[in-house]
Amino acid sequence: MKKRFASWHILFIHYLKRDWKKIMLWILGVSLFSAAFVPAFNEIAKGNGLQAMFETLQNPAMTSMLGPTPVESANNYTVGAMYAHEMLLFCGLLAMILTALHVISHTRKEEELGLTELIRSFQVGRQANALATIMEILLINLLLVFFITGVMLSFNVETISTEGVFLFAFSIGTAGTIGASIAIVTAQIMPTSSGAAGLALGITGFLYIIRASTDVANVDLSIWNPMGWIYLTYPFTENNWALLIYAFIFNVVFVLIAFILEEKRDMGAGFLPQREGKANAKRSLMSILGLFLKLNKGTIISWFFAFILLGGAYGSIYGDMQTFLESNKLVQQMFSQSGSTIEESFTGTIMMVMIGLVSILPIVVVNKLFTEENHAHLSQLLATKVTRARLYWTNVGIAAFSGVLGILFAAGSLGIIAITVMKRRENLEIQNFLAAGYNFLPAVLFFIGLAALTLGWAPRLRKVVYIYLVYSFMLTYFEGVLDLPNWFLKTAIQRWIPQMPVDAYDAFPFFIITVVSLVLIVVGYLGYRRRDLLEEAS
Amino acid sequence: MESIVKIQNLQKKFGKFEALKDVSFTVCPGEVVGFIGPNGAGKSTTIRILLGIIKRDAGLVKIFGKDAWEDSTYIHKRISYVPGDVALWDNLTGGEIIDLFMKLHGNGRKQKRDALIKRFELDPKRKAKNYSKGNRQKVGLIAALSVDSDLYILDEPTSGLDPLMEFRFQEEMEEIKKAKKSVLLSSHILSEVERLADKVAIIRQGEIVENGSLDELRHLMRSTITMIAEKDIEQMATVNGVFDFKQNKNQATFSADPQYLNDILRQASKLEVRKFESVPPTLENLFMRHYERKTF
Repeated sequence: MKKRFASWHILFIHYLKRDWKKIMLWILGVSLFSAAFVPAFNEIAKGNGLQAMFETLQNPAMTSMLGPTPVESANNYTVGAMYAHEMLLFCGLLAMILTALHVISHTRKEEELGLTELIRSFQVGRQANALATIMEILLINLLLVFFITGVMLSFNVETISTEGVFLFAFSIGTAGTIGASIAIVTAQIMPTSSGAAGLALGITGFLYIIRASTDVANVDLSIWNPMGWIYLTYPFTENNWALLIYAFIFNVVFVLIAFILEEKRDMGAGFLPQREGKANAKRSLMSILGLFLKLNKGTIISWFFAFILLGGAYGSIYGDMQTFLESNKLVQQMFSQSGSTIEESFTGTIMMVMIGLVSILPIVVVNKLFTEENHAHLSQLLATKVTRARLYWTNVGIAAFSGVLGILFAAGSLGIIAITVMKRRENLEIQNFLAAGYNFLPAVLFFIGLAALTLGWAPRLRKVVYIYLVYSFMLTYFEGVLDLPNWFLKTAIQRWIPQMPVDAYDAFPFFIITVVSLVLIVVGYLGYRRRDLLEEAS
Repeated sequence: MESIVKIQNLQKKFGKFEALKDVSFTVCPGEVVGFIGPNGAGKSTTIRILLGIIKRDAGLVKIFGKDAWEDSTYIHKRISYVPGDVALWDNLTGGEIIDLFMKLHGNGRKQKRDALIKRFELDPKRKAKNYSKGNRQKVGLIAALSVDSDLYILDEPTSGLDPLMEFRFQEEMEEIKKAKKSVLLSSHILSEVERLADKVAIIRQGEIVENGSLDELRHLMRSTITMIAEKDIEQMATVNGVFDFKQNKNQATFSADPQYLNDILRQASKLEVRKFESVPPTLENLFMRHYERKTF
């Protein structure tokens, strides 16, 4: 038993040395994001804020996004209850994704890069690397728990009790460990590291979507969902610590499964075999367009699949929204005053959220060109008659195309499912959904423009585009629940576009943003044409 | 004497593909075994099985008398490994990586490390991402040679090194040989194998096709003879054991079967020889002969 894990502590220290910068950023970022909004929530709670928020969040649409609360009447809704209600699921999801990716990067990714081979030629046990990774994850999440606790307690808010704070923080830390145990199992199964990361994220996304439906339909069912163990702990209200024990057992079981699988597998290979390829290139592959379509195929198809699933999941809520509206006089009044229906309002909001997600795909596609460059794959291509212009425009073209289709899939599946589940027709036809979706096309183009600009001038900063995307996504996601000033909201590009179908279509911002995006793309090209290729050794 | 490495009837499949069909050979104490074969023949697969990082399907694989898969941690205390393509962590320096490897091995010698860094002219303060292929290879070599081991498993260790560094590596290998350590050297640089190896094992399509000491193998092979004679040299063409006869005026080149060497010399002595040169078979001849003849 001991020799299986031999030298794990050396690898563990080695990981800490290698990762300390990443770990610091990670802990700081997640804990501030999880804990630092307490004063903002305290502000919202003033006056009738708590009641209004309570009513708003009763909307099944909001429940599907943020999760439920155990509080049954607005009078018992405290700042703490509201904080956990709005923040916990999302922060847990973030922690899960980060740890899952980290686990894959230290297991299969290292094997693929050839790093594990050398390590394993020393007296290092077969599972030492896995154990070192798990220990690192545990340490990171434990530090995260203490940071979150410290930050939240420092605000000294009455209803944010010490016990609740600890539970809130431990729930987020536990979410991280759940992500890690899912990832460590997928790392054993899939043939490649990208496959393992894809499956781990896919499972996470699937759990999120499943809980959206069970939270709305019957919250008792969510307790069977590992993701449920994060937010159903209900910090500051029920303080349900027992769920963390479920998560603990789940983690132990999954890690044991991973250990058993790893003991039996060859390094660098998963349990699912790799498919055999073709001996000759198909005609469709033998062009720059064909090559890059092929390179991006897996990513594009899986994202499209995710968009359809996501649109469908949100579409299924439209049925419950009417029930909610009929049962709640206050909300009914709110909507009759604003002159739009609850479905229209939800369509506008959710479309903005979905378009934020759709924008990820084209950015990934544009950045793929840099990944290829960095892996020194392009110098061989550029030694032929292929020009940089060809590479650049082909890639930007694929990105734009994937964005256009992405909107179609997201908005289309939302519309189709929504229309199917609505008992009472709300003047919403499929073309309204598509129009609401394509109304945001300039925002997608804008992200392509930003990605293209960094590709051309400062490819090392390409991750900044993701950061801006996440930032504007957060703003749009939380704008309904946080009371933010308009100028602040406007820092997200999506906010410049009116939300159809509630608002009317406005051609002016539509064209301005489109033109700005095209300019960014052209400027990016000017940089790409002349800059040095950045290649890391083979 | 008990062998250091013992492989018998080793088999390994990847899905339907039979990477290793039947591999058997041994490495004895103090022996350098050259392990050669064309790309894709199964050299690296065999080495990975020896290292216990992939699992065999059938056969026996023992190092120091212990099972390569079950007892890999015990075995790894006493071996050093250099892959043909040393992968490193981008953001660590060469010096840091060598230290980590030495620590993981356990029997590192600081002095030896510093001496080797000088000898191989490596800048240990640079980050690994800035190293060229040859410099990354040096990091792997220095780490492997700075520790005390009984068995060195080297998979194309000099790929990417310049000729001077290759020479220094060969000198280090001579030292190891003198210290009676065992080496399994897989390489495409046949002159290097020829210089260092006592034995060779040639692998082809997952099977060992030739295995023995270099001297033994040479005996089976034809030397190349170049001669100049006053009398009609064409007579040599018909002598038993002469192959690939080529003539240019009074000069002839041919390969001679060692079995018929006496007949050849007897005939040659009648022709008033001016010059008689015999070049022993090189490993390259052996290698090429094996592969060219048996290609399907």
